[in-house]
Amino acid sequence: MLQLYHWEPNANSGKPMLTLAEKGVPYESHYLDLLKMDQHKPDYLKVNPDGTIPAMVDGDRVLTESTPMMEYVDEKFDGPPLRPEDPKERWRMRWWMRYFDSYFAPSVSMIGWNMFVGPSARTRDPEEMKAAIEKIPLESRRVAWRKALFNEFTEDELAESRRRTIFSIGILEQHLTHHPFIAGNSYSLGDINGFNLAYALPFSQPDHCNDDKTPKIMAWLRMIYARPATKETWAKGRTELASRLTKLEPKK
Amino acid sequence: MIELYHAEPNVSYLKPLIALKEKNADFQAHYFDPTKFEQFGPNFPRNMESDLQLEREGPVLVDGSEVISSSFFMLEYIADAIEGPDLNPGDAFNHYQARAWGQFLGLSLGPIVGALGCAKYLAPALKTRDQDELKAAIARIEPVERRNAWMAVIDGSFTKESEKAAIERSKFPVKRVDGWLGGNPWMTGPAYSISDIDTFALMAPLADLAPEVVNATATPNLVAFLKKMRDREAVQAALAMSKTGKPQEFYVPGAEPSRWG
Repeated sequence: MLQLYHWEPNANSGKPMLTLAEKGVPYESHYLDLLKMDQHKPDYLKVNPDGTIPAMVDGDRVLTESTPMMEYVDEKFDGPPLRPEDPKERWRMRWWMRYFDSYFAPSVSMIGWNMFVGPSARTRDPEEMKAAIEKIPLESRRVAWRKALFNEFTEDELAESRRRTIFSIGILEQHLTHHPFIAGNSYSLGDINGFNLAYALPFSQPDHCNDDKTPKIMAWLRMIYARPATKETWAKGRTELASRLTKLEPKK
Repeated sequence: MIELYHAEPNVSYLKPLIALKEKNADFQAHYFDPTKFEQFGPNFPRNMESDLQLEREGPVLVDGSEVISSSFFMLEYIADAIEGPDLNPGDAFNHYQARAWGQFLGLSLGPIVGALGCAKYLAPALKTRDQDELKAAIARIEPVERRNAWMAVIDGSFTKESEKAAIERSKFPVKRVDGWLGGNPWMTGPAYSISDIDTFALMAPLADLAPEVVNATATPNLVAFLKKMRDREAVQAALAMSKTGKPQEFYVPGAEPSRWG
């Protein structure tokens, strides 16, 4: 059976989780606690020597990049297609997934680590955290974890992340004004990717992402929230991160 | 007929030219000079995606009413949409490999190649221009990230220390690719694909920009791969689209390095 090593249904881990749920593909779940750095422990490094999550093992094949992993799942397994037939819509889906992954998400993530995740993680023994960071295989990831765990973000970096987040919310609202879905006319991996990034925006950016200012984003998020695969996936969450989804409950 | 807007065939501008030549595609080529900011002119094809593309500057492909940007996804588009030899062969895992390499190299190497190339070739060339006019033209660029990338070429912020750090950062992706090519003829395994085009376009410049990193002794597999690519008719035909005769000296500001370190 397909093996998936993942953390919460959130960001990179949530992308293959939701994709597999939409396709109806069963998998054996291996939950790794990102904050306890399970992904840098020897057992997991045997699966993915880079120590990043998620990772997927399909027979003797190991996949470690979450967005290309989604396309693999859609191509390899039966189930409803999650990539448009039209090459132009496919291109748009891929363009937006890169924008989410490399521009929008890093900014949202920096704010999230600064405000929510980092303070919680810093309740641990600093020496223990330093030792854990030194075991991270990739230098770029060591730098990122030091910044995150010891709150080494500068004010300029945080201000830039806030600017980019607000800017990207506006861009996404504009895009969804012209297209019902990320790729164009059908639900696709682009929506799954975007949802994993944006589902918590009404919680983390309530002044900028709400029914008055971004009605298209809110309707899009609620449409994805209502899908059975989304409910099934977020039910696998073990922390309060997953509870942020409740902001998308229909208004009573 | 599809139309490709490209500059000198190097790095991102080289990729679609090779792919279209491999496909024997009938296309209309529009040569433009991004260092004269022609891509911001009123008649240049643009859309939200091309304005915001994370490579900052690069080719655009026009197919009907769609403006396709971002060079790796442009390669996928050409493979998907244009008839001719299969440039994305193999099974779902081979396709995953192509995308994973494209993402890894684009994010790790893209910023390095752009920064080193601009420091060596573009910055000295821009110094010969009228600086007031140049700065005024740059000040009009939107979005701000593209403006800042151009400004960084002329403001001296790329120092010898930055160069040294960029060369150091190039070692990891170079080593990973060289290791892979030691056991595989092509980037996704047994068959030639868009991943080879992408890798060639990003790696070939390093033999010039970071010769201490890419050379026959340190990276024999990569050097052999680069030669194998240069021997392909499509690569030679793409490079022959140069108007200066020195495409290897043409650079524009590229993707920014990760803001997370």
